[in-house]
Amino acid sequence: METIGLAPIDIVIIGTYMLGSVLLGLFCTRYVGNANDFFISGKALPFWAIGFSIVVSDIGAVDFVAVAGATYTHGVSAANFDWMGSMPAMVFAAFVFVPYFWRSGVFTIPEFLGRRYNTAVQFVNGFIWTVVLMVMLAVMLWVTADKLMYTVLGWDPMWALWIMALVTGLYTFSGGLTAVVFTDVVQLVVMYVGGLGLLGVALWEVGGWTSLREQILAMGPEYQNHFTILLPHDTTGPFPWTGIVFGLGIVLAIAYMSGNQVIVQRTLGARTEWDAKGGMLLGGFLKSFIPLMVALPGLCALVLVPHLDNADRAVPEMIRLLLPAGLRGLMFAALFAALMSSISGTLNSSTTIFVTDLYGQVRHWLRWKPITERQGLTLGRLFTAMFIILAAVLAKPIGDNESIYVFIQTVLSLFQGPTLAILLLGIIWRRATGWGGLAGLVLGVIFCFVLKYTPNLFPSDDPFLFVAWWSFVFSVIVTVVVSLLTPPEPDEKIRGLVWSSVVQDDEAQAALRERISG
Amino acid sequence: MESFLTAFCEKMFFPILHPIFAPTNTFLSKFYQPYATICAIGFFIGAMIWVGVVLHEPYVNRGRAVRSIWTDLRLWTVLSMLPHVFVYFYFY
Repeated sequence: METIGLAPIDIVIIGTYMLGSVLLGLFCTRYVGNANDFFISGKALPFWAIGFSIVVSDIGAVDFVAVAGATYTHGVSAANFDWMGSMPAMVFAAFVFVPYFWRSGVFTIPEFLGRRYNTAVQFVNGFIWTVVLMVMLAVMLWVTADKLMYTVLGWDPMWALWIMALVTGLYTFSGGLTAVVFTDVVQLVVMYVGGLGLLGVALWEVGGWTSLREQILAMGPEYQNHFTILLPHDTTGPFPWTGIVFGLGIVLAIAYMSGNQVIVQRTLGARTEWDAKGGMLLGGFLKSFIPLMVALPGLCALVLVPHLDNADRAVPEMIRLLLPAGLRGLMFAALFAALMSSISGTLNSSTTIFVTDLYGQVRHWLRWKPITERQGLTLGRLFTAMFIILAAVLAKPIGDNESIYVFIQTVLSLFQGPTLAILLLGIIWRRATGWGGLAGLVLGVIFCFVLKYTPNLFPSDDPFLFVAWWSFVFSVIVTVVVSLLTPPEPDEKIRGLVWSSVVQDDEAQAALRERISG
Repeated sequence: MESFLTAFCEKMFFPILHPIFAPTNTFLSKFYQPYATICAIGFFIGAMIWVGVVLHEPYVNRGRAVRSIWTDLRLWTVLSMLPHVFVYFYFY
């Protein structure tokens, strides 16, 4: 496979970008004095930084390659994840979950679940998230090093992996969430300039949008749905419209935007509730442009480099064929920006969950003294360093072992529905109990596996959207039934933890403030 | 491992689950356009109405430092939703 050569100007652009990111991240260290600063930026983030950071943390370098590849194969229906799968869920998150989490003063989603249900739910949810985020970190490093830097640039993957891990780990270790968010702002600008630059050049080459559309539709009957965003229910592809609306729009998107620590942690660091909500809305608006950079190049590639054996080669081939020196460096800086922001966000969030929900809980069970702010900062930094080194060491074994990767991806997609079910019921329904939440979570995940591995239940070859929807429905039913069969939680336990009381009851809000300060 | 799980689930659960999902699939297969687009756009319009009309203004904008139309999150919601409505109409 032909690799892409970089000119000296490209190397200078990439090097300047990386050095600038590290220096900016290290500069943020001066704002970190305790655990609160490290994990949630001392609640000082403005809406624009939150919005930028949410977008760029969500998009990885692999998305540029994989989403373009999916669009090359399936058409614009692959872009649903950044349209239907983002904005409605982000609006819902902004006005239901975000103010609620923000007011309850928690660091993590499992911590909230622990307060609402019990410490077992917190531990199970925290454990699943820590494992998933760690493996995602390792896979992110290896896939980018192997599929992008080695395959496309010809760089040694192990060297590339360690450089990315050390650079990103250094500023995340030093500056915590503040460094992550402010480097994300710069990385978003670099990512947009590089991504839109590639799209502009590609559209120019194919003769504009109308010409692109005509040329693809003229390719034959198998390309007639390439400009149809919602496909029939009985399509064998992975994106039927029913799955997109119910599985993605109602379950996966809301679960991701409301229950994913990497996304929510930024809003927990907002300086006001308005900034938290506004940051989420701005993030949704900016995300609506992401398909222009990650999906539409896939359509252009269909015209410019048709008949590729591997659709994931679409973007690398276009970079090789279309971009001149300088612009090529900018595009790779954009890919590095996407990678570094995803790594730093995931690293910071996994550390936060580990310290708060696993280490903190074990101390609580052993009746040790709670962690002080100062100890929290030291532990946060210690585990950040440990996790990035561990992820770099495990990257190749995990990345090479496809079954582990597939298993974790499966787990990630599978436990979103049950998590959303107990989160939603915990917030809107006073009668939900600890046993109900635990049963809903555990049985819901098991039901996901049953749906996933029982063949021929759905028309789609890869029915993960239907699995998400039905597991959500199943978990809601289990949580409701078990809750009704067990004694209700005492009023004082759930006061300030149910939406109606947080939003409407001044006394409950005062109790909540007391709980936070206590 | 995966083949074992598939064989196990097929034997244990397929006879129970298939009678539930098969009629659902048959029923849903009858519906495509324009219902699909109406559902999708309904999501966006519904969210706009929910934030703009149903939720109380003090709740939506709680915590804002400057009171002005440009800091009203109801307007932000509508403006950020509109491009999506266009997209689902365009790629009908």
